Amino acid sequence: MRNLLFLISVLLVPVFGISQDAESDRLTGIWEPSNGKARVKIEKIGAKYYGKIVWLKEPNDPTTNQPKVDKNNEDESLRNTPLRGYRLLKDFVYKGKDEWSDGTIYDPENGSTYKSNIKMKDANTLEIRGYIGVEALGRTDVWKRLEVKK
Amino acid sequence: MKLLLNLCIIFCAKVCFAQIDSLQTDTIKEEDFSMYENFDFADEGAKRFCTPKVFDLSPAKLIWFGYDHQGGFDLSSDTLIDSDRTWSPGNSSFKGAGGIRAGANIPIVSRTNIVVQGGFNLWRINYSGAKNIGVNPLANTLSQNGLTTMGLMATVFKPLNDRRFIIAQGNADLNGDYQFNNIIPLQYARYSAAALYGIKTNDRKMIAFGISRTYRVGEINYIPIMLLNWTHINRKWGVEMLAPARAQIRRSFSPRKLLFFGYELEGNSYRILNNTELGLRHYELRRGELRFRFIWEQSIYKFIWLSVQAGYRYDYAFDVDQFPNDKEFFRGFFGNQPYKMENALGGTWYSFVSLNLVSP
Repeated sequence: MRNLLFLISVLLVPVFGISQDAESDRLTGIWEPSNGKARVKIEKIGAKYYGKIVWLKEPNDPTTNQPKVDKNNEDESLRNTPLRGYRLLKDFVYKGKDEWSDGTIYDPENGSTYKSNIKMKDANTLEIRGYIGVEALGRTDVWKRLEVKK
Repeated sequence: MKLLLNLCIIFCAKVCFAQIDSLQTDTIKEEDFSMYENFDFADEGAKRFCTPKVFDLSPAKLIWFGYDHQGGFDLSSDTLIDSDRTWSPGNSSFKGAGGIRAGANIPIVSRTNIVVQGGFNLWRINYSGAKNIGVNPLANTLSQNGLTTMGLMATVFKPLNDRRFIIAQGNADLNGDYQFNNIIPLQYARYSAAALYGIKTNDRKMIAFGISRTYRVGEINYIPIMLLNWTHINRKWGVEMLAPARAQIRRSFSPRKLLFFGYELEGNSYRILNNTELGLRHYELRRGELRFRFIWEQSIYKFIWLSVQAGYRYDYAFDVDQFPNDKEFFRGFFGNQPYKMENALGGTWYSFVSLNLVSP
């Protein structure tokens, strides 16, 4: 009897695990930052969440007419990396209560990486805060969910 | 049975807790990105809003601390006639002037549809190496007490849509010949404000027009103002202007190394309260300076930037008013109310070095 109860309790672990995953996976999808210059696909890899650029309003550099690259990266070896496909959100972990934290956000405009956390205000709205050291020294951007045009 | 239990535990662990290490590279295998062209907001009522930045704009400073220094200069004073005494015209001189300038400007609300920033600033000017100050009570108080400004400020950026925006700003400054151990009463605070309406035509240009109540020329005035932030398509040159207060051309060597050339008009109205001869007579010094300068700004460690200014300081205004019934009055550009004391400050070289924590 004791063994049977133990077996049942172990088998219930994946049930609760799946519920937790469903809640945290609401972050996945296609999102647009407030400036409308890009679209970012947030996906789950392992237990963490990552976001990559999948669309740019201006995909080409106007001075070279070539696809935009990460020319402001502090690492010179990465300055020819195409921005479309670039992963700018990294390592976010779900903390419960519609919050993902412990991640970073990269700004290709200046080549800087900031600590970041994400709050889901509703199913179609994210508040992504990038900050320096403490959260008070940062900026929040609102991202909206996108879907295929009807 | 035990073996069966162990196998179940191992199977569940594999299903629930399998992990893949964080990716080591940012490069992604080829993907068909054209599929992401045909997307729109999931919320029908969602709007896009413009941001307060253009490409390559100098980073906003969250916290700064620096030291301003001016070289030697003369102070020429005209006659001062008061109720019980007259001071003759005279010349004084100083070997230098300078002091700490510090402040903060922190985002309080930072949303897509509104940004509110609040902060404070603290300026101190010590006048050193004084000569012949006995002829002039103003020179005397500058030498003994210097000048101090402590202020609060708030700025609101409100985008109306993806192109148009409103900016509003307000300041409250307490200026006078006081030091930190004898701050003057708050009733002598001076208030300034500005409001602009503008358009962001693209990611390289934003322009706005408005009106300002300002003390930058030393006394209160109401003037039209213009904001222009523009970056050339080559991303190397740009203009950052809030005229007539300041304007500068920007050369970007990289996102972390910037050179500026331009000017700034700074000033305020200072209550003279701690001079035994002038202190109770409702005098205010109307100080306005025009500074032409080069500025070099560079990231020295991540978000910590060094800023070095060097240039020439012209005297725009350094006259003294006496307030009737201790009430501020408006002269503007066309008023003819006489100054109680007219002064001229000699020009001199100046420098300002600061460390800054900049905003994301």
